[in-house]
Amino acid sequence: MKFLGIRLGSIALGLLGCGLIQVIANGQNSFIQLLVILAGLYVTLAVSLNLINGITGQFSIGHAAFYQVGAYTAGVLARSFFDKLHLHPLLWLVLVMIAGAIGAAIAGLVVGLPSLRLRGDYLAIVTLGFGEIINIIARNQETLGKAYGLDIAPRISSVFMVWALAFLTIAVCRNLLKNVHGLTFLAVREDEVASAAMGVDVTRVKVAAFVLGSAFAGAAGALYAHALGFISPTNFSMDVSFIILTMVVLGGTGSITGSALAAIVLFYIPEKMRDLHPMPVSSIVAGAIAIVVTVAVVKRVADNFRGSRRNKTLIIIGSIVGGVVIQLIFSTILRGVPSLQQMVEGSKLRLVVFAVTLVILMLLRPEGVFAHHEFSWSWVKKLLGHADIPETEMSA
Amino acid sequence: MTCLSLKEATIKFGGLTAVNKVSFELEKGDLFGLIGPNGAGKTTCFNMITGVYEPTSGGIVFEGRNIEGTPSNRIAKLGICRTFQNIRLFRSLSVLENVMVGAFLRHKTSLASALTDMPPAIKETRALRDQAMSLLEVVDLADEANLRSADLPYGSQRRLEIARAMATQPKLLLLDEPAAGMNPQEKLDLMGVVRKIRDEHQMTVLLIEHDMRFVMGLCEKIFVLDHGEEIAYGPPDSVRNDPKVIAAYLGEAV
Repeated sequence: MKFLGIRLGSIALGLLGCGLIQVIANGQNSFIQLLVILAGLYVTLAVSLNLINGITGQFSIGHAAFYQVGAYTAGVLARSFFDKLHLHPLLWLVLVMIAGAIGAAIAGLVVGLPSLRLRGDYLAIVTLGFGEIINIIARNQETLGKAYGLDIAPRISSVFMVWALAFLTIAVCRNLLKNVHGLTFLAVREDEVASAAMGVDVTRVKVAAFVLGSAFAGAAGALYAHALGFISPTNFSMDVSFIILTMVVLGGTGSITGSALAAIVLFYIPEKMRDLHPMPVSSIVAGAIAIVVTVAVVKRVADNFRGSRRNKTLIIIGSIVGGVVIQLIFSTILRGVPSLQQMVEGSKLRLVVFAVTLVILMLLRPEGVFAHHEFSWSWVKKLLGHADIPETEMSA
Repeated sequence: MTCLSLKEATIKFGGLTAVNKVSFELEKGDLFGLIGPNGAGKTTCFNMITGVYEPTSGGIVFEGRNIEGTPSNRIAKLGICRTFQNIRLFRSLSVLENVMVGAFLRHKTSLASALTDMPPAIKETRALRDQAMSLLEVVDLADEANLRSADLPYGSQRRLEIARAMATQPKLLLLDEPAAGMNPQEKLDLMGVVRKIRDEHQMTVLLIEHDMRFVMGLCEKIFVLDHGEEIAYGPPDSVRNDPKVIAAYLGEAV
C-alpha cells in the first residue's frame, strides 16, 4: 500500500505540475502559449532521442522523421474521421497521440531492424537517409498534401497534454534506468560483444530502444499537428533532427535531466532573442570581450582548481557574475568611441549568438552540461561539497 | 559426465586455418588448461565455443546439445560464460552494475513492468543487486562496488570480469588469460579464487594462460595448441616434459 501511495502521489504531483504550466500559459497571449507547447514537445523529443542515442548508444540523427510520421498519422486521421466521430477534443487528442505513437513505432521498427548490423557513423547515415526518405514521400504523395502540406481541421492546443506527454517520457526513461533492464541498455552502449556474452539479447535491446524512442516522438508529432492546425514537410526538415541531437549532446549524452533542460534552454534562447532591441556595436564588442575573459577564467578554474567542490562551484558562479560586470564596464567605456556607435538589429544576431553559445559550451564541457549525471538531491549536495551521501544512480 | 566436447572443430578465415581439427573433452568439474604460443588459436577456440565465430566444420557439443553456430547470448543462457583477454568491461558503469548485467540473465520480469516500475520489477532489481554484491565479496571487490569500473586497477578489472561472468551462474566458465598483467601475489590470490569457483560454486573451468607456473599449479588437464593443431594433451607433468611442447615454446635444437 505504501508503494501505491507513493506512486499515485508522484503521478498526481506530475499532473499537477502540468496543470500549473497550463494555468500560467492561459494568462499569456497565443504566441507565448504556442512557445510553451513547442518547448514541451522538444523536451519529449530530446528525452526520447536520448533513450536511443545516449542510453543505448545508437547514433541516430533522423529523429524528426518519427516526429513527422506521428504528425502525418494524426493529420490524415483528423481529416478523415474527426467530423464523423464527434468526440471530445481532449479525448480525440489522446487517441491521436496513441495512433501517432503506433505509426512512429512501426517506422522505428522498420529503420531499427535493418540497421542493427550497423554501428556509429554508418548507422547515423542510414537514419539520416531514412529521415530524408520520409520527407520526400510526404512531399510527393497526393494524400499527404505534397509540398504544400496538410490543413488539419480542428486546432486543438492543450498545454496540459503536451507537458503530460513530456512527463510520461521522462518517467518511463527514469524507470528504465532504475531497473536492471536499463543496465542492459547501457551495457549495449558500452560493449556489444561483452553484452552478448553475458546473455543480453543485443538485437532485442536495440529494437526496443528504437521502437520506444520513436513512439514518444510520434506522440509528440500528433500533438504538434493539432496544435498548429497545419503541417508541411518543411516543419520536419533535417535541421529539426539536428536541433534535437544538439539538445541531447549538449545536455550530456545519457542524462535525462540534461536532455530535458537543454531542450528548454536551447528552445528558449533563440525565441527570446527575437525581441532584442537594436543595440550599438559598442555593447556587442563589450559583450564579446566579457565572454572571452569569462570563458578563459572558467576553463582555467575547471581544469586546474584543487580544492573543495563547493569552492569551485562558487568560483565559477563568481566569474560568471564578474563577466557581466566586465560587460557593463566596457560598454560604458566603448560608448565614447564614435565609430562604435552604429546601431545593429539585435534580433539579426540571434542565430550567431546561438551558435557561439554552443561552441563555447562544447569547448568548456565536451561531455555535456550534465555529463552522465541525473538530478537527485544527493547530487546537489555533492556539488555543494557535502559528499557524505554516496552517489548511486539507482537509489535516486 | 561430459560437459563440453569439441569434435574435430575447424575454422578457416579465407586461406588461413586458425584452428584445425581440434578435439577435446571436458568432464564436469574439470579444471582444464588450454595453452600454446601466441597465435596458436586458443582465443579462437573460445570464440567458437561462445558463438562469436561459427566453426567451418566439426562440432561442439555442450551437455549433449550441438551448439556450433548458436548466437552468443543463447549460449550464455545455456550455461557457458567467459571473460575476455583484452578486458571488456562496461567501462562507464559501476563495478556493481557490471556484475548486475551478468545477473540479468536470470531475470523474470518483463521490460514493460520495468518501464512502469512495478513492484515485482523493483523487487527483482533489488534481489539481483544483492546477488551481485555477494559475488563481489567472492572476488574481494565489495569495497569498490560503487566505483566506475574503468577506474579500477588492472588486476581488479580482471577479477571483476570473473565476477561478472560468474553472475550468469554458468555451468562452464571460460577464462581468457585471467592472470595477464598481475603481479606474483595477485596471481597466487587468483589461483585461490579459481579453485574456490570450481569447488564451492561447482563450475567447470576452462582457462587460457601463458604463465606456466599458474597453469601447471592449477589445472589438472592441459591441452596444448600450436598453429591451430593439437600437439600435446595430458596432466601437467607429462605436458611439461613433452618434447613437442618444449619445441613449440623454445624452438628446436639446431
